[in-house]
Amino acid sequence: MLEVKNLIVNYGYISALRGIDFEVNKGEIITLIGGNGAGKTTTLMSISNLVPKTDGTIIFEDKDITHLPAHKVVMQGISHVPEGRKIFPALSVRENLITGTFGNKKMTKKDISDNLEKMFVLFPRLKERVNQGGGTLSGGEQQMLAIARGLMMNPDLIMLDEPSLGLAPIIVEEIFELILRIKEEGMTVLLIEQNAAMALQIADRGYVLETGNIIMSGTGKELINDERVRRSYLGD
Amino acid sequence: MDYYLMQLVNGLSQGAIYALMAIGYATIVGVVGMVTFTHGEVIMIGAYAAFYAFSFFAENLFLGIITSFAASWLLGIVIYKVCYERFFDSPRHIPLICTIGFSMLIKNLAQIVFGPNMKAMPQPIDLGFINVLGVRINTIQILIIVIVISLSTILYIVNSKTRWGIQLRAVSQDKKASALMGINVQRTTMIGNCIGCGLGGVAGMLLAIYYQSILPTMGGVLGLKSFISSVLGGLTNIPAAALGGILIGVTENLGTAFLSNSYRDVFAFVFLVLVLIIKPEGISKKVGGRP
Repeated sequence: MLEVKNLIVNYGYISALRGIDFEVNKGEIITLIGGNGAGKTTTLMSISNLVPKTDGTIIFEDKDITHLPAHKVVMQGISHVPEGRKIFPALSVRENLITGTFGNKKMTKKDISDNLEKMFVLFPRLKERVNQGGGTLSGGEQQMLAIARGLMMNPDLIMLDEPSLGLAPIIVEEIFELILRIKEEGMTVLLIEQNAAMALQIADRGYVLETGNIIMSGTGKELINDERVRRSYLGD
Repeated sequence: MDYYLMQLVNGLSQGAIYALMAIGYATIVGVVGMVTFTHGEVIMIGAYAAFYAFSFFAENLFLGIITSFAASWLLGIVIYKVCYERFFDSPRHIPLICTIGFSMLIKNLAQIVFGPNMKAMPQPIDLGFINVLGVRINTIQILIIVIVISLSTILYIVNSKTRWGIQLRAVSQDKKASALMGINVQRTTMIGNCIGCGLGGVAGMLLAIYYQSILPTMGGVLGLKSFISSVLGGLTNIPAAALGGILIGVTENLGTAFLSNSYRDVFAFVFLVLVLIIKPEGISKKVGGRP
C-alpha cells in the first residue's frame, strides 16, 4: 500500500535519514521505533511532504506521491496525526473535528455528521466538550481530539506520531486499545512510538531506526524477543 | 452640548470607516501571520476604483462597492504574490520591509497614473439631513454605518458559520497542521488576504465619499490608522479591532471639538500610546490555551 524507497532527508549539513526503505501493507499496524533523533518524525514529515526530501521515492497505492504538496498527499487518503497534537486551540472541538474532513472531498454533509457521531461514541469525553475551545482541553483530551480529527476523513492510512507522549499510563493504554480498534475497522496504521514495548505488542511488523538507518525489521513478536531490541529499547 | 453630541456622531461614523479598515487589517494579519504596511495603498486604490466607476459609468453606490472591493481584491493578489508567497519561512522582517517598499511603489505609480492633485469625489447619494433630538445627522453618515455593519456581519457569518470560515481560521492558527488536514494553505492565505484588502478598499471609497475628495497620497495616514486600530484590538482579534477603530474615530473627533482640528492625527496616536502604556495587550481578551 505504502512503499518508501531509499528516502534521504538532510537538514542543512545534518543528515536525518540516510536512505531508508520500508513498506506498509493494507490492514497492518506497522511501527517504527527508535530513540530520540533517530529520524522517526522526519520519516512521517517527509511522507506528508512537510520537509523537503533530498532523494527517494514514496509510492502510495501505485501512485508516486513523492512530490505532491502536503494538502494533496492528504487527499490521497493519508491522514497524519502530528507529534505534539497540533490541534487548533481557538477552534471549538466540533470545528476541530470538521477540519479533519477537508482532506476528503467526496464526503457529503451526512457522512460528516455520521462520522461526528461515531467519534463521540469512540470518545465520549469529546462529546461533553464539543463547544469548548480546543486549547482548553487537557493533554489527554487533546491527543484524543487529534486522533479523532485524523479519523474524520475516513483515511486509508493513518500515521500516528507519538500518540502516547506525555500522557498518564492509563490514558496510554486507552489509546493503544483504540489503535487496535482502528485496525479492526479496516484502516492501516503507521505508528511511531518511543514506548517500544507497547507499540511492538500491538504491531504486526516493526522497524527499528537508529541515526537515520533502519537497522532491523521483523514481526512485532520477533522484535520484542530480540536481544538487542530488549537491551536498547525495552530496558531489560 | 449639541455641538459635542454632533461631534460624537461624526466620530462614530468616521470610526465606523476606521473599523472597516481595521477589520480588513486584522483579517490580513491573522491569516497571513505578518504585519503589512500596504493597507493604506489598498484603501487608496479602492477609493480610486470607485471614483472612476462613478465618473465613467454611473453614480451608483452598489457599483462603487463592487468595483472598489474587486480592485482591492486584485491588488491583494499582487501583494500576496510579491510580498508574502516566497517569504513564509524567511525571517519576519523581510516580508515587512517588502510591504513597505511595495506601498511606496504603488503610491508613486498612483501619482503618475491618477495625477498628483486632489480631485472631487462624485457623490452617489444626495446629501440630506435628519434631525434626531436636536442632533443633525446626514444621510452619508447613516449610509456609512449601515454599510459597515452589513459588511462586518457578512464577514462574521462567513467566518463562524461556514466550512470555509473554519478553513480560514485553521490556517491563521497553524499553517503546518492545516496542510496536514488537506487544506490548500497557500490559496486560503491568499484569499484571506484578498478579503481583508477588499474590505479596506470599500472603506477607502466610504472615506472619499465622506470627505468628498480623493488624493493619491491619502493612504499613508489611513494605513497607519488601520494599523493602530488593530493594535488596540490585539492585532488579530477582528471584533476588538473594529472597536479600536471606532474608539480612534471618536477620540479624533472629540479631540478636535475640544482643542483644534490641526491636531487631528495627534489625538489618535496619543490615544494609542496611552492605551498601550496602561494595557499593553490591547483591549481584547487573549484566547486561553494550554502551551
